[in-house]
Amino acid sequence: MKGNFRKLALVGALAALAGWPAAAGDTSARQLIAQFAAQAHTQPSVARGKALFMGRHTGGKPETPSCTTCHTQNLRATGHTRAGKAIEPMALSANPSRFTDSAKVAKWFRRNCKSVLGRECTAGEKADILAWLSSL
Amino acid sequence: MRRAPQPVWDAFVRLFHWALVASIAVAAVTGFVLGPGFIPVHVVAASLAVALVLARIVWGFAGGGYARFAGFVTGPVRLMRYARDVLGGREARHVGHNPLGAAMVLALMAAVLAAGLTGWAFLGAGAKLGPFAFILAHTDSPALAEMHEAVAFTILALVALHLGGVIFTSRREGENLVRAMVTGKKEVGPQDIVPPEREARPGAALGVGLALALVLALAVAAPVLLPVPGAPVAEIDPTARAECTDCHMFYHPSLLPSDNWEQIMATLDNHFGEDASLDAETTAEITAWLSAHAAESADTRASKVFRLDPAKGVTRISDTPFWKARHGWIDPAAFRSPRVGSRDNCAACHADAETGWFNPFFAEVEE
Repeated sequence: MKGNFRKLALVGALAALAGWPAAAGDTSARQLIAQFAAQAHTQPSVARGKALFMGRHTGGKPETPSCTTCHTQNLRATGHTRAGKAIEPMALSANPSRFTDSAKVAKWFRRNCKSVLGRECTAGEKADILAWLSSL
Repeated sequence: MRRAPQPVWDAFVRLFHWALVASIAVAAVTGFVLGPGFIPVHVVAASLAVALVLARIVWGFAGGGYARFAGFVTGPVRLMRYARDVLGGREARHVGHNPLGAAMVLALMAAVLAAGLTGWAFLGAGAKLGPFAFILAHTDSPALAEMHEAVAFTILALVALHLGGVIFTSRREGENLVRAMVTGKKEVGPQDIVPPEREARPGAALGVGLALALVLALAVAAPVLLPVPGAPVAEIDPTARAECTDCHMFYHPSLLPSDNWEQIMATLDNHFGEDASLDAETTAEITAWLSAHAAESADTRASKVFRLDPAKGVTRISDTPFWKARHGWIDPAAFRSPRVGSRDNCAACHADAETGWFNPFFAEVEE
C-alpha cells in the first residue's frame, strides 16, 4: 500500500508540473474509494461521508466552517469559491469528470480538509466522502 | 438711429460655438466632478473640443469677414486703447468681435489646445495610452496632472470672464448677444465698426481641414503603434495562471512588488482565510515567475499604486488607499451583486484586468 501511495504522489507531482491537465483520467471514484478504504482498513460509509461533508466544524479557518461554505448544500449544482469563481458540481452523477485525476483529488482534499477541519483528512474520511459524493 | 439686423455669425461659427460649449461642459463635469469611471467620456468630449478649435482655426483663415482672424484679431496697442475707451465709456461699437472679445477668442482656443496637449500627455504617462505613451514615464504623470489641472482651471476662469463680457456688452449695447449667437443676426448701425468684407471659401476650408485631419491622424497613429516601455508582461506562465485561477481571477504579477508576492507565496497555507498550499516545487516556480514580472518590471499606473503592508492592515489590493480612492464613488452594493461577488473581482468591471493594463476605456461604469 505504501508503494501505491508513493506512486500516487509521484503522479501528482508530475501532473502539477504539467500544469493540471483538465482531467488526467488516471483513476476513478470507485478506484479511489477502494484505495482509501484499504489504506484505512475500514468500510466506506455514505452516512459518515454525508455527516462530515454537510456538518459544521470548528477546527479549521473561521471563513470556511463547512464544505458547504463553497460547495453549497446542493451538490448537483455549481458552487462558488469565496472569491466568486464557479466550482463544478461535486456529485458524480452531475459531473462525471469528478475524481478521475488522482493528483487533483489529493490537492483539494489536502487544502480543503485543512481549511475546514484544520487538519488533513484520514484515508477513511476520504473514502467516506467519495462514497457519499458518488452515491448522489 | 435705427439699426438693421444683418447676418453676422455664420452657420459654422454658431455650430462651433455651441458645440464647444457642450464639449467643454461635459469635459468639465467629468473632469472636475464625476469619478474616474468617466475618464473615457472626458477624453472623448475634450478631444472633440480640440477638434472644434482646430476647425475654427482653419475657418479663421477661410471664412467670411466676421469669421476671419484678420477681421478681428488686433495687436496689444489697439487692445489697450480699446480697454481704456471701455473704462472711459467711449468705446466704438464693433459688430463682430470687439478687441477684448477677440483676445478672449484667442485665449480660450489656446487654452483648449493646451488642455488637450497636457491631457493626452497625462494619459500617456499615467495610463500608457495615446501618442505620448511611448515617450513618457509614469514618473512624469504627477507634473502633467498638475499642468493639466492648471490649464483646466484657466479655462474655467476664461469662461467666467467671457460670460461677464457678454453680459456687460449685451447691457451696454442693448442687444442680446447670446441670442445673436443662436440666430446669427446682429443689428448694424451706420457708426458701427464692421470688418472688411471677405468671401468665405468653404471648399478650401474643407480641403485644408481634411488634410489637417489626415496629418494629425497619422501623427497620432504612428506613435500609438510604437511599443510602450514598461508594458506589463504579456505572456502568462501557464502554471501560475492555472493554480491562481482555481479559486479567483488572475492577478497580474505587475500589480504588486516582488516582496509582496514572495510573502503571499510563502503563506499559501493561510491564503486569505483558506489553505491554498502547493507542493514546494510548484510554489517555487510560481514565486520566481511572479517576482520576475512584479511591479518593479512595469511602468503602468497599476504597477505603481498598490502595495500590501499587513502591519498597517493592508492585506488586500482593495485595502490600499489608491484602490479606495478610485472606487469610493461606486455603490458598495454593486460589489456584492452576483455578477461581481466581491471587491477582489477586478475583472468583473475591468475587462483587461488580467493583463495588468487597467485601461480606463475598458472599465465598465455601472451604478
